[in-house]
Amino acid sequence: MSAAACSRCATPLEAGDLRCATCAQPAPVRDDVPPEATARILRCESCGAAVAFSAEHQGTRCVFCGSVTRLEEPHDPIEAAELYLPFKTSPEAAHAAVRGWLGTLGFFRPSDLARAATIDNIKPLFFAAWVFDADALVSWAADSDQGSRRSDWAPHAGQTRMRFDAILVSASRGLQAEEASRLAPGFDLRTSGKSPEGPEGATVERFDVQRSAARTIIARALEATAVQRVSQGEVPGRRVRNCHVGVVLHGLVSKRYALPAYVLAYRYDGRVYRAIVHGQTPQLTFGDAPLSWRKIAALVLGVLALIAVIVAIAWRR
Amino acid sequence: MGDETLACDECGASLRFEGTRTTKCPYCASPSVLARPARHDLPNPDFVVAFVLGQRTANEIAKGWTRSRGPFTHGGIKNASFDDVRGVYVPAYLYGALARSAYSAEIGENYTETETYTTTENGKTVTKTRTVTKTEWRSLSGNWAGYVRDVVVSASKGLPNALLGAVEPFDLRALRRYDVGQVQGWLAEEPSLGGDACMAHARQEAQEDVAAALARLMPGDSHRGLSFSTTFEREIASLVLVPVWVFAVRYAPDKPLVRLVVNGQTGRAYGKAPLSWARVAIAVALALAVIAVVVLVFGGER
Repeated sequence: MSAAACSRCATPLEAGDLRCATCAQPAPVRDDVPPEATARILRCESCGAAVAFSAEHQGTRCVFCGSVTRLEEPHDPIEAAELYLPFKTSPEAAHAAVRGWLGTLGFFRPSDLARAATIDNIKPLFFAAWVFDADALVSWAADSDQGSRRSDWAPHAGQTRMRFDAILVSASRGLQAEEASRLAPGFDLRTSGKSPEGPEGATVERFDVQRSAARTIIARALEATAVQRVSQGEVPGRRVRNCHVGVVLHGLVSKRYALPAYVLAYRYDGRVYRAIVHGQTPQLTFGDAPLSWRKIAALVLGVLALIAVIVAIAWRR
Repeated sequence: MGDETLACDECGASLRFEGTRTTKCPYCASPSVLARPARHDLPNPDFVVAFVLGQRTANEIAKGWTRSRGPFTHGGIKNASFDDVRGVYVPAYLYGALARSAYSAEIGENYTETETYTTTENGKTVTKTRTVTKTEWRSLSGNWAGYVRDVVVSASKGLPNALLGAVEPFDLRALRRYDVGQVQGWLAEEPSLGGDACMAHARQEAQEDVAAALARLMPGDSHRGLSFSTTFEREIASLVLVPVWVFAVRYAPDKPLVRLVVNGQTGRAYGKAPLSWARVAIAVALALAVIAVVVLVFGGER
């Protein structure tokens, strides 16, 4: 875990970080410099002869006996979840949630959808996501309709402080980004624990990216969140375009979570559809559903008939 | 500068470190690395980007470079030989700061207008309309702040910053803490350019980064006249050794050598190939001759 924080931007440094991930300031180092100049020879551990760095071996190679000591690789581990949120929705409750959801989809769905759908396969999943907090100074510039003259657009700029709290960035392969963002508001991060809790056989997703790549993804998500907030709350006027931001982060803390959800497949009329149930808040259920073409056709015909009647009446006069 | 005379740890012979951190004992050929307390203008390296390309690969890249020169270069370059090949860890400063800028620019907002115009069609004058896109210029000013990171400037008099810049970037994800094991057996140079000169270069490169960031910030359909003033706060410069292959290329026995620089991590090569004035002159003469013929032939038809 993090031992120290960057002295420039207060972002916690992780073990093995040579530089701050946010502002690139070098991490402090304990020096082993001698009090006076000395000439040193690094020797082979097996035969004592002098070694030389070999580009091909990425390590020191003894010219004499050929033994190679590889350099320590730069620390860029594949990330793993550090915190798990427990399932609070049981598989039965997830079943019920899907049935309930299928019944609320409105007129254009088949009437017997909730009754006739068969739920095939219900998979509990801990999906991978980062959750970050940060303070930021956001410099922005954008066009809006406010103050526009001949063109529809006028430029505006500003600078504002922002607080990011518990922003979720999906690292999931099993869920699409849009699905993960719809699930985001239902999680209670205070319930986190160190190990998975929930139905047996739940899949725990791996992050599948290295730390350096993860940081790029988080930085992009943060910028996208800033653009969204600036467009909605900072730029004057009603319509906004070309909203660009520059972000100076302070104290970026990101944690790797495994978050609970059910991914399930149901069958209706010989076809398979996908639905997602939140692992903690089953009211958050969504997915694909069939349309009733018969009802749509009936409505279209009805409207056409109505138009025909109106036209006929108008013509008679 | 940082010259030291010390005893070889292997045979006791006297070793001279002349502006380098590494040397080879003239008697027993043992490679030694200098360790010393930091001094003003002579800090110890913090980081190293290790060599990834060995000499054989670097040679192939250099050969490829000589073969792929353009038609106007000296004919000898295609069969040039390398008089000297060195893998050098070049000292450089890795600079970062928090930049704060005040900027102003003119932002172009496009709009369309319907215009009437007259033209002649079949001998008659007719009035028509067309839509044209016009640009309205609005002024915009504001403040911007951002981190400047990953600016690398040479701290070597032997490899000026512009030359290092020509083979940049280095992949800084491969940055490691400086350690004897990465430089032993190679030539590692001590910084030979003063800290102030390096900082001036670094701030100049940082200004370019800020200019690019501001250009990305600008809204509108276009912008012009972007001007800004920047202050850099909380600057940090760490000394990093970067891997560079330097080739001395001999393309003619009576001509001076040409220097070719190859990035020891990525293989990016840069050198100034000598031009052949004779070839340029022939090409110009040919072009003139062609023009003359064309003028004569077509001019004569009238």
